[in-house]
Amino acid sequence: MPEATHLTTSDAAGSAAFSARVLLLLLVVLCGLAAIGGQTVRVATSRPSTETIAVSEPIARNWSRPAIVDRNGVLLASDVALPSLYADPKLVIDRDEVVERLRTVLPDLDERDLLRQLGEEGRRFIWIRRGLTPRLAQQVHDLGLPGLAFRKELRRVYPAGQIAPHLLGQVDVDNRGLSGIERFIDTSDLAQPVLAPVVSTRAPVRLTLDVAVQHAVRQEMQAAITRYKARAATAVVMDVRSGALVAAVTLPDFDPGRAAAADEEGRLDRLFGGVYELGSIFKAFTVAMALDGDVVTLDSVFDAREPLQIAGRKIDDYHGQKRKLTTREIFLHSSNIGAGLIALKAGGAYQRQYLDRFGLTGDLVLEGAGVAAPLLPQRWTELETATIAYGHGLAMAPVQFAAASAALVNGGVRIWPSILASGRAQPARPVQVLKADVSRQIRDLMRLNVVDAKGTGRRADVAGLEIGGKTGTADIARNGGYAERAVIASFLAAFPIGQPRYVALVTLFEPQPTIETKAQITAGVNAAPTAGRVIARIAPLLGLRAARTASAP
Amino acid sequence: MLRWLTATVALATIAAAFGVTWIKYDTRRLEARLQAQEHQIEKAESDIAILRAELGFLTRPERLDPLARRHLGLQPPSSAQVIRLDDLPKAAKPRAGVTP
Repeated sequence: MPEATHLTTSDAAGSAAFSARVLLLLLVVLCGLAAIGGQTVRVATSRPSTETIAVSEPIARNWSRPAIVDRNGVLLASDVALPSLYADPKLVIDRDEVVERLRTVLPDLDERDLLRQLGEEGRRFIWIRRGLTPRLAQQVHDLGLPGLAFRKELRRVYPAGQIAPHLLGQVDVDNRGLSGIERFIDTSDLAQPVLAPVVSTRAPVRLTLDVAVQHAVRQEMQAAITRYKARAATAVVMDVRSGALVAAVTLPDFDPGRAAAADEEGRLDRLFGGVYELGSIFKAFTVAMALDGDVVTLDSVFDAREPLQIAGRKIDDYHGQKRKLTTREIFLHSSNIGAGLIALKAGGAYQRQYLDRFGLTGDLVLEGAGVAAPLLPQRWTELETATIAYGHGLAMAPVQFAAASAALVNGGVRIWPSILASGRAQPARPVQVLKADVSRQIRDLMRLNVVDAKGTGRRADVAGLEIGGKTGTADIARNGGYAERAVIASFLAAFPIGQPRYVALVTLFEPQPTIETKAQITAGVNAAPTAGRVIARIAPLLGLRAARTASAP
Repeated sequence: MLRWLTATVALATIAAAFGVTWIKYDTRRLEARLQAQEHQIEKAESDIAILRAELGFLTRPERLDPLARRHLGLQPPSSAQVIRLDDLPKAAKPRAGVTP
């Protein structure tokens, strides 16, 4: 065959070009394979992706939040994944039967409402009860009713019980914080939205509260409300060196697991969120500031025979001594006239300056809890100077007063309170607002008030515990004037008075006259003994032992 | 020569096809196992959270307080009951000539 034997140059060139094309193709394929091989190696050695795809309709968007614990790690609030019960009306066969049988397991079920919802046209999803306990869920499941199903949700539970609901705060139905520490968790970006009910792995938020102390204080204050027929009460215990709030009680309170059912009185946080004229406990500040600037000494004499007349108003003493009083006696007998005279001698500007230094006039910024701002008088004339001296005309939250009072007893150092264990530490260089010697004098006065047979605080005395303090009975400002026989009775205590570790401010709102108090409502008969009982109960919990008697071997 | 090469490559291709398929299925199996384990971990963590909450609930002060008073006869301690080691009287020095 002639064509086959004639290998012309063009054929050779053609086949060479053919081979070159094949080679090129081979090269391209090899590159492709190499790329795939390289990609395979890369994928094999890279870390697995942490993204998960949750196949669920975003009906319930949950927020996963860290737990809240007390200073010792006791659980105060935590997330648990609990089954929530819902119904699909289309799959429900007998509405009446379902509702009736559900009521046997869930007695507080709103029958009519559920029946109405099950009858609605076109609805495929109805929540019946969110956040059931596993046991209840099992009981509902055992009923074997068609059309019901469960979906797990993150729900907030409060294992420590009804112990500090205002402070801890509440969450909404999606587990987002509404108030208190719960709100703080949200604003600090510690809570995150999740599609599946996965419990947070973040470290818990640790508070300065001690559950044992909080419980003891709460129990004693609850008993005091009953005993003295008071409308409400607050109590706060603070470490005078670190500013840690060990106990913060507001009563009445509410069950944190059922916040929606709380009534108006129970919702009000009087310790942090209400401002009040606190009355004679303020005299401790008045005397302290006057001593600090050498305006007075403990033996300076003031004429308290006549009521003080200023700007058409009269300032008088309650069961006044009607004689000349020394500074010491003014404190001991809690004389309004005397306090007014002392403040007037010091002057309004001086007084204002000291109140600023103590931290009584500015906003108290407490990380994790909001404190209501103090109410200052619009003008600061002689009248205001005199009335503020005995605690009227200036209103503040009890917690702010307690925090400022640390400086009176701890050697004169201003302390900033904190509720979070990780809270801001005190300034590296202590802010001295009083001379240490003045602090000692105030401590002596407070102790005298409790041990002296005529001291207003004598009912706060507890054998073996060196308690010192000051009483205060403030008329409640109402409707532009002052209410008849409605008072706020307080006792400010520091213990052990020789070298105080804690201050405690115990306040009773509108205590009533009783047989036991011989129809009196002054702080000396209700707040003072309550403070004594509270301190006697918590001293061993705080590691304080009774003073040793001299008869020890 | 070329025939052997072709045959080897063809065989290798078939083997590779089997290998790829096997690796694919093996990977899927491992992924399923991993997911199952992660699911187990999540469930365990959720159970732990529930148990911790339950433990806290059973040991809450308002429950233990009346139980301790009623069944154990306990009372809140007073400060007089708290002593420190330094409060204890020191051991008396042994008298001379007396062996303990």
